[in-house]
Amino acid sequence: KNISDFSVNITDCTQVVVPEEVFFTVAAAGILENLLILIAVVRNKNLHLPMYFFICSLAISDMLGSLYKTLENIFIILCKMGYLTRHGDFEKKLDDAMDSMFILSLLGSIFSLLAIAADRYITIFYALRYHNIMTLRRALVILAIIWAFCAGCSIAIALFSYEAATVIPFTILFPLMMFFILCLYVHMFLLARSHAKKIASLPSSTFHHRTNMKGAITLTIFLGVFLCCWAPFVLHILLARFCPHNPYCACYMSIFHVNGTLIMCNAIINPMIFAFRSPELRSTFKKMFYCPR
Amino acid sequence: MSALRLISNRTSQQALSNSDYTWDYEYYEYAPVSFEGLKAHKYSIVIGFWVGLAVFVIFMFFVLTLLTKTGAPHQDNAELSEKRFHMNSFVADFGRPLESERVFSHQMAEESQSLFHFCINEVDHMNKEKESQKGPSLKSNTHFQEVPKSSAMFEEDLHCLTKFNIPNFVNTEQNSSLGEDDLLISEPPIIL
Repeated sequence: KNISDFSVNITDCTQVVVPEEVFFTVAAAGILENLLILIAVVRNKNLHLPMYFFICSLAISDMLGSLYKTLENIFIILCKMGYLTRHGDFEKKLDDAMDSMFILSLLGSIFSLLAIAADRYITIFYALRYHNIMTLRRALVILAIIWAFCAGCSIAIALFSYEAATVIPFTILFPLMMFFILCLYVHMFLLARSHAKKIASLPSSTFHHRTNMKGAITLTIFLGVFLCCWAPFVLHILLARFCPHNPYCACYMSIFHVNGTLIMCNAIINPMIFAFRSPELRSTFKKMFYCPR
Repeated sequence: MSALRLISNRTSQQALSNSDYTWDYEYYEYAPVSFEGLKAHKYSIVIGFWVGLAVFVIFMFFVLTLLTKTGAPHQDNAELSEKRFHMNSFVADFGRPLESERVFSHQMAEESQSLFHFCINEVDHMNKEKESQKGPSLKSNTHFQEVPKSSAMFEEDLHCLTKFNIPNFVNTEQNSSLGEDDLLISEPPIIL
């Protein structure tokens, strides 16, 4: 919209605009869903377990991401309507705060996924000692450390976002974490496979085993959704830093709002693939909604 | 992210001369970006990125499917197979909470530990027997072929493995209420 104000060459790749209604609907759905999960875990004493705390941590980071986008849109609308000035100092600080919220959300998501994968790993490989290794207190301490680290990183990155030194670690962290999570899950798969083979080899076994697609599908969904929702944005940051004037890069950067909407979609999908798979959580929801009637 | 506008502000001085920091719906001033003489399609990065991502995800899926292949199917007995220890579908049931562990924790831990060690010992014992019979060709545990039928020990092994319930891990495929499935361990072990 404002491109016509610039007198220089106008790009052929105009910004792809996502309608505001879609934006707000997606953001609101994400916030509500994750809030429900938090409420359910807090209310049900049975869910006060390390596993659910890590899922809550993921829900909080998803909520922050959606909240960020919502607030940003609201401020932009306020700007357009003239309630906020564009050049003010206050707005600049607000903008920095919101940027750091967004980075906090991304880092929080990555580390929460990592914590969930590590928790499952310990459940499987150290099953008998799980309760000694992963006590509630340790889980809370781990979460506190993760969030303190993410908060520190996000403030540092937001303050020094013009340095190349912040963009590169940020973009390296992302694939590194994904790879590590993939390794954890693959190792779990291999154990399951070897156990299944052992059982199947027992002669009296009537064990019906087949190529289990379910596990592969589940894991592909976990990681595939995270990749597809966050990678476009991470690539955007890289291109914005290193080739802002290249026409190809500029065309990629024109779909910035679609990338932002994808991040909010991730906030909606994550609860479905993590939290809602637990029967206990589902029954808590049912009680929350059907009991008062 | 409007923080990124600082980057383009520094590099493109011509576009907005009157402000160092503005807040626009568009985040970038596409100042001197000319689209003359592009060799490839202008959205080539976008298309290339998404195609690459799709290929990667599909590749990952196939690798995982290969990893979870467990070999040739055995005959299945419908009534028993539902009750058996379906280890290879555990991943789909990651949502199983561990709260039943809390209730039975100490009891279960000791019982499970002894059962577990017994089971592992039995399975290893079985492996060693087979290896000694088959010779060096069966070095790896995952390459069992014909298992000689011997005693009721194998039947007991199977019972013992089904009684060992690793929560979050076992999916008995009846997605019934949690309580019944995780109380599987409450039966006293026959072997010990």
